[in-house]
Amino acid sequence: MAFDPKFIRNFSIVAHIDHGKSTLADQLLLQSGAISQREFREQLLDDMDLERERGITIKARAVAINYTLEGQLYELNLIDTPGHVDFNYEVSRSLAACEGAILLVDCTQGVQAQTVANAYLAINGNLSIVPVLNKIDMQAARPDDVKEELFNTLGVNPDEVLACSAKTGEGVGEIFKAIIARVPHPAGNPSAPLRALIFDSKFDDYQGVVTYVRVVDGHLKVGQKIRLMAGGTTYEVTGLGRFRPHEVACEELGVGQVGYVTANIKQLADVRIGDTMTEHPRGAESPLPGYQEPVQVVYCGLFPATHNQFEDLRTALQKLALNDCSFTFEPETSDALGFGFRCGFLGMLHMEIVQQRLERESNLFLVQTAPNVTYEILTKRNEVLHIANPTRIPDAGDIEEFREPMARVNFILPSDCIGAIMQLCEDRRGTYIKTEYMTPTRAILSYELPLAEMIYDLYDKLKSATRGYGTMDYELIGYRADELCRLDILVAGEKVDALSIVVHKAHADRRGRRLVKKLRAEIGRHQFEVAIQAAIGSRVVARETISALRKNVTAKCYGGDVSRKRKLLEKQKEGKKRMKQVGNVEISQEAFLSVLDDGDE
Amino acid sequence: MDTIFVGGGTPTRLTPAQLERLLSVIRIHFPLAAGGEWTVEANPGTLDADKSDVLAAGGVNRVSLGAQSFQPRLLAALERNHNPEDVPRALDLIRPRFPFWSFDLIFGVPGSTPADWSEDLRIALSLDPSHLSCYGLVYEKGTALWKQREAGLVTPVEEDFEVEMYTETIDVLANAGLSMYEISNFARPGHESRHNLVYWANDAYFGVGLGAARYLEGVRSINTRDLQAYLKRVEAGGDPTGPSETLGPEERARETATLMLRRTQAGLDRAEFELKTGFAIDELSRAAIAKHVRGGLLEDDGLRLRLTRQGVFLADTVLCDLL
Ligand SMILES: Nc1nc2c(ncn2[C@@H]2O[C@H](COP(=O)(O)OP(=O)(O)OP(=O)(O)O)[C@@H](O)[C@H]2O)c(=O)[nH]1
Ligand SMILES: [Mg+2]
Repeated sequence: MAFDPKFIRNFSIVAHIDHGKSTLADQLLLQSGAISQREFREQLLDDMDLERERGITIKARAVAINYTLEGQLYELNLIDTPGHVDFNYEVSRSLAACEGAILLVDCTQGVQAQTVANAYLAINGNLSIVPVLNKIDMQAARPDDVKEELFNTLGVNPDEVLACSAKTGEGVGEIFKAIIARVPHPAGNPSAPLRALIFDSKFDDYQGVVTYVRVVDGHLKVGQKIRLMAGGTTYEVTGLGRFRPHEVACEELGVGQVGYVTANIKQLADVRIGDTMTEHPRGAESPLPGYQEPVQVVYCGLFPATHNQFEDLRTALQKLALNDCSFTFEPETSDALGFGFRCGFLGMLHMEIVQQRLERESNLFLVQTAPNVTYEILTKRNEVLHIANPTRIPDAGDIEEFREPMARVNFILPSDCIGAIMQLCEDRRGTYIKTEYMTPTRAILSYELPLAEMIYDLYDKLKSATRGYGTMDYELIGYRADELCRLDILVAGEKVDALSIVVHKAHADRRGRRLVKKLRAEIGRHQFEVAIQAAIGSRVVARETISALRKNVTAKCYGGDVSRKRKLLEKQKEGKKRMKQVGNVEISQEAFLSVLDDGDE
Repeated sequence: MDTIFVGGGTPTRLTPAQLERLLSVIRIHFPLAAGGEWTVEANPGTLDADKSDVLAAGGVNRVSLGAQSFQPRLLAALERNHNPEDVPRALDLIRPRFPFWSFDLIFGVPGSTPADWSEDLRIALSLDPSHLSCYGLVYEKGTALWKQREAGLVTPVEEDFEVEMYTETIDVLANAGLSMYEISNFARPGHESRHNLVYWANDAYFGVGLGAARYLEGVRSINTRDLQAYLKRVEAGGDPTGPSETLGPEERARETATLMLRRTQAGLDRAEFELKTGFAIDELSRAAIAKHVRGGLLEDDGLRLRLTRQGVFLADTVLCDLL
């Protein structure tokens, strides 16, 4: 017998980064008895190595807990979500599996950009919101001010705002009560054909694809025949289970329940996040709404550091895509780096995390190129070319018009920051469009900016210029011609395609000089002298020389030294793993990335 | 035992009576085989006639003297508390009593010039050694020099100077009949340190005492360096072993390769390597070998691999590719 949906509550915890979502999840697990004091560790749900190392949540995590209130047993399915803006897509997918959300606000920090952004995601999804102030144990807590901010920004009734300390556990009991009282129970139809939303998945070497679902209508049973509605493929359910928080097998999942499904799915491409799982042969008529495709903003090339690993990288990307459906990849070739993939990401942190997960989870070493955008060239022969790799841009003599992608960017920010952001946009070849005021203190500023001027670091610059309160959003509005040119880099006389960049002519010489200086610092010394040149066409605009390495030898190595010396050598070798041999020169990962201009002189 | 080495730099700090006791304990537990080599390290400042007599009578047949430099200002920079004159004085005690002896020198000390080093080499050769160890200064993490360098208090010698000093070492010593047989060791034929050759063949050895390292049945371990903990454990009849490390067969083979190649004359003999490790070096490191033969850092006569002259200067560049 499935659990009566009346006693099920599904909710996400959403907040700005670091406001304490995962810590609150710990308390909910602990106080409901899902984990014992002995099993407890901080941010228990952040179990990916990268999450623990960085102290942030990257993946949303679902957990089913039991809670008894006034003699009635309830099943609470909670999803802890990430707060960093790059992982916003995780939040929107999690919310689609819930009827409610805890909107957590660190009451020493107050309402922040992602507080508002995530609250709107929940409001637009028609979810019930339980606003909770966190960190009331801290000296700097200012709960009354923050209640007022919540009222002014989101219209939250101050009387409905709870307060807790996720650290000490104070006030957490009230949160359970509020969830049960305020979040509606799932409203699906238990006798209708199965409809389950696939909100996440992962790859397991033994079981194939494991999908994470929330049952909306009907139920799932072991042995049942199922069909994935978008792909049309059918399977037999081999296993079901819940997250408590570790995977615990069960026989059945009913309306409103959240769990995992294994069904011997071996083709990675068959599973699409946001797809609906139905039963077979009787199936649902229409799928669930699914998800909007995310928009990638940063692209870079990823290449295996050792050749022959192209296929391994492809498999690694496919596996990871099951667990992170928000990046894209397609094959790309580089003269210097060989075969690899051009990948798109939701931000710079996302790019970094995906690269590191690929390496760790599939045991690969990758070389990454600096991010770039696609250019449009009108040739003298009236052809229009779209070029994603700067080295393929034709010689200047063949180009009639050099066009770059443009974005219309809307900044939402405190009015007193408008000046600073306008300056930032003017420095980046922006065209001012307009300013609109939402309130006297918050405004929407619109600019047209070359995509290449905004995707790498404008978000960071915005964040620091607005103390974290600014957010931005953009849409592509087509290509526009400008005075652009290709700047090539020659290492030991050979052009290295992966180092070519597109620059504005007015800045070309300065960029060239800065770049060869950076490369000189990043490319290690060799047995011979290495020249680094920057050139536009055949005109060399800058040159630096790396002197030869003449001595690199460990003088002493006796019995007690062997282990330590071997480790030092291993460290040297480690540094070489991410090197690409271009001619006789080994170029490090850092060197490829140093092409990205950080504007620092 | 084929070879025994009493090291740590300061055995001669002991009184003659203590030294005598140490040697007799060693003789009981680790008797030296006929024709074996028994070395004791000596500090030029603390070796005297009585101690020399005790060592010779106790069975020691080789002394390694920590000379380091003949320039007072460089000895000060190295924080050594002996004087340059102590070295010939100590050698006058050593020569008549021991068939084999050696001393150590360090080049590239902060503030030193190639001229200083030429002078050190000239004085060293005037003492007519049959074995010399010449080390390029290493800033070891945790040492006083390392900290001073981090704090910007000492400036390392320029790389070009270091190269000049090392080049001169190899050439001048070779002319004097002391040929390089390991990256930092030079000897007349037949006077090589047999004990140290054990390390570079990656053979087994025992280790006894505070901080001593051993390598037995593929396990490397080191006794604790904490004297109090060492005494407590030993007096309680326990084991003072600290961290240990066991490598897999392939890692061990690769480590063996990096050690063997330190032997600049013997190098890495393909047959010997395979016999010892069970691996063919070409299977393990074909690409790296080809690369460095092409780059002129390794020479390969088909049977044996050896570092070239340039390869000796860039040994770590070659060795890390073999790991
Ligand atoms: N004093 C105090 N510290 C808290 C409280 N809740 C969380 N913290 C601390 O705040 C920091 C961030 O907590 P997390 O739970 O990782 O925050 P998060 O919202 O999950 O962060 P992301 O998932 O990366 O967005 C940690 O150092 C917590 O120990 C609280 O109630 N009081
Ligand atoms: Mg978290």
